[in-house]
Amino acid sequence: MVSVSTFRIAWRNLGRNLKRTLLVAGAIAIGQFAFLGTSALMHGYGEQFFNSATGPMLGHAQVHAYDWRDDRSMDLTLDDIDALLADIRSDPNVTNASARIYAPVMAALTEDGFMGVVVGVDPVTESHKAGLLPVDGMGELLGEHRVMVGAGFAERHDLKPGMEIAVIGQDTDGSIASDLYIVQDVMWSAVEIIHGLGIVMSLDDAQELLMMPGRAHEIVIHTSDRELIDETVVRLSQLPSLADLEILSWDELAPFVVTMATMVDWFAYIVLIVVFIAAAASVANTMLMSTFERTHEFGMLLSLGCSPSRLSVMIAIEAAILGLLGVAIGTAAGVVFVAATSESGLNYAALGGSDEYEVAFQGMQFSLLIYPRIYAKDIVIAVSAILATSLMAVVWPIMRIVRLRPVEAMRS
Amino acid sequence: MNTNLVDVRSVTKDFHNGKITVNALRGLDLAIHEGDFLAIVGPSGSGKTTLLNLIGALDVASSGDISIFGHDLMAMSRKERAELRLTSLGFVFQAYNLIPVLTALENVKFVLELQGVDGGRHERAMSTLEDLSLGELANRRPNEMSGGQQQRVAVARAIVSRPRLVLADEPTANLDSENSEALLVMMRELRDKHGMTFVFSTHDPLVMAHATRIVTLLDGRVVSDKIKNAGDAAGSAN
Ligand SMILES: Nc1ncnc2c1ncn2[C@@H]1O[C@H](COP(=O)(O)OP(=O)(O)O)[C@@H](O)[C@H]1O
Ligand SMILES: [Mg+2]
Repeated sequence: MVSVSTFRIAWRNLGRNLKRTLLVAGAIAIGQFAFLGTSALMHGYGEQFFNSATGPMLGHAQVHAYDWRDDRSMDLTLDDIDALLADIRSDPNVTNASARIYAPVMAALTEDGFMGVVVGVDPVTESHKAGLLPVDGMGELLGEHRVMVGAGFAERHDLKPGMEIAVIGQDTDGSIASDLYIVQDVMWSAVEIIHGLGIVMSLDDAQELLMMPGRAHEIVIHTSDRELIDETVVRLSQLPSLADLEILSWDELAPFVVTMATMVDWFAYIVLIVVFIAAAASVANTMLMSTFERTHEFGMLLSLGCSPSRLSVMIAIEAAILGLLGVAIGTAAGVVFVAATSESGLNYAALGGSDEYEVAFQGMQFSLLIYPRIYAKDIVIAVSAILATSLMAVVWPIMRIVRLRPVEAMRS
Repeated sequence: MNTNLVDVRSVTKDFHNGKITVNALRGLDLAIHEGDFLAIVGPSGSGKTTLLNLIGALDVASSGDISIFGHDLMAMSRKERAELRLTSLGFVFQAYNLIPVLTALENVKFVLELQGVDGGRHERAMSTLEDLSLGELANRRPNEMSGGQQQRVAVARAIVSRPRLVLADEPTANLDSENSEALLVMMRELRDKHGMTFVFSTHDPLVMAHATRIVTLLDGRVVSDKIKNAGDAAGSAN
């Protein structure tokens, strides 16, 4: 048990050389702030990265016929979509499930033809923030042979709203399929396939064109929470209607995203390690100096009959308070920083001197606005690590004190 | 086995500093009796501090025997010696006696805490300070007291648990004569009232004047041992 007076002596000793104490606490505080700041940015970045990666294209999980992902063959379809969707939507974790059709086609405005991809989407279920139709009212532009075309696609082929295009493809039987469509609008999308090639039409229109009523190529699933994805996928895979189908979560669909997210975590841990080494060095140095200065005093205390273990506890408490003081200041600063930026976000692009907010990469959309996040876990890790480092830093001074002989200490 | 409070017999103490050996004590004999107010005098380097450190169980003799309250010091472990210091001995050092971050009262209480005294530490410490007319210093830290005040608080701390023997190494060395006088009168009263035994090392004629017995050391040996009669000692205290 640590007595009140042991604690009191330790605490007041820190006040004896206030400047030194504040310097060390300040150094630890800056380190802690750096760690929390970095990890908050990294978490924000990771979250954003996840949202982007799983956003409109990937979703949290996808269902396909086996081999569709490799072959992209028109006839590898999901059948009886309505029953399948109903089954999937009955899972409590599923917030959204949307069927899609993909078909490579030739499109023609006049006599010139060009390559495009028909993307058949459900105008209702794709109209949400993470869907393919994120802007309000977009869904209403589709149906009845009205389509939207990707902005890049439109620019390359001079497509304008109101124009009529002919779309020629192959249906699931391999026969020629063709029809006429009105370009209702040009849509901006970070999804490359839509931006550069997309002829986006309603699922019904696509089913009609490609002669695949009640069928689709893909079902994209969103769950209510990132943490629930894996268990949901496992549960869905046990549905009888999915028995012969492939269901994969986002991390299985895009493993490189996982690699990047892991790298992001490592970066924060490297900062943490640097912080601890700095903390250990400054606490060790301070405690060594302050215990050397007090050798005479320790001799006096030992002479009175104070045990070396009590002195050691006193020194350990001193170091712990020093570390915790620094970590508390740093944590407070970190929390303030995150509170100030987590709502509005930090604009990376502005830091880099540009004002583009979004970049697109492999069908994923990246915002350059980062929303820093602090997790209680980070604070716990940092506080315990700094506490542990501070205590480790006094091992040497304590070893010296334990060996101290009262007479010699008094003579110094 | 004997009636002496402390018995020092044929004690030697050598210090080895690299190749140099210093024979600080060279076969020293001394018996300390209950109620002694004993001044150990002698030139610098004659072994006064070394002797007090041995009697105070702070250091171990190179040879010889020391018994204290009937216990054989030479046979005690480091821990037993610490225990003995804590429970039965009081110490007053030349300087830096007090824990600088604690007030006078807290310093006195701290010793009681070290001794494992559970209840009433505050009252005991406070009444000790008041008995020694140090009540108004209770809440001052060492740096807010004069050297003389600090030494008197150090005495209060040394005697708060009524040890049988108080050892003081040149307690007046850093004090002016007025403060020295006050300190000595205080200790002498404690001895007279409570029968505590005091042993000082000193150069100070004032201490010698108050002593009931003066032992002179030279080159690590006792060269004279004079017992003054009680009247002499009391007379010079006034
Ligand atoms: N720890 C030590 N190491 C080496 N020499 C010491 C030590 N302590 C005392 N001495 C030597 O022993 C002798 C006696 O010292 P001390 O007892 O301090 O004398 P006094 O207190 O009478 O001045 C001196 O020569 C001193 O230098
Ligand atoms: Mg001396």
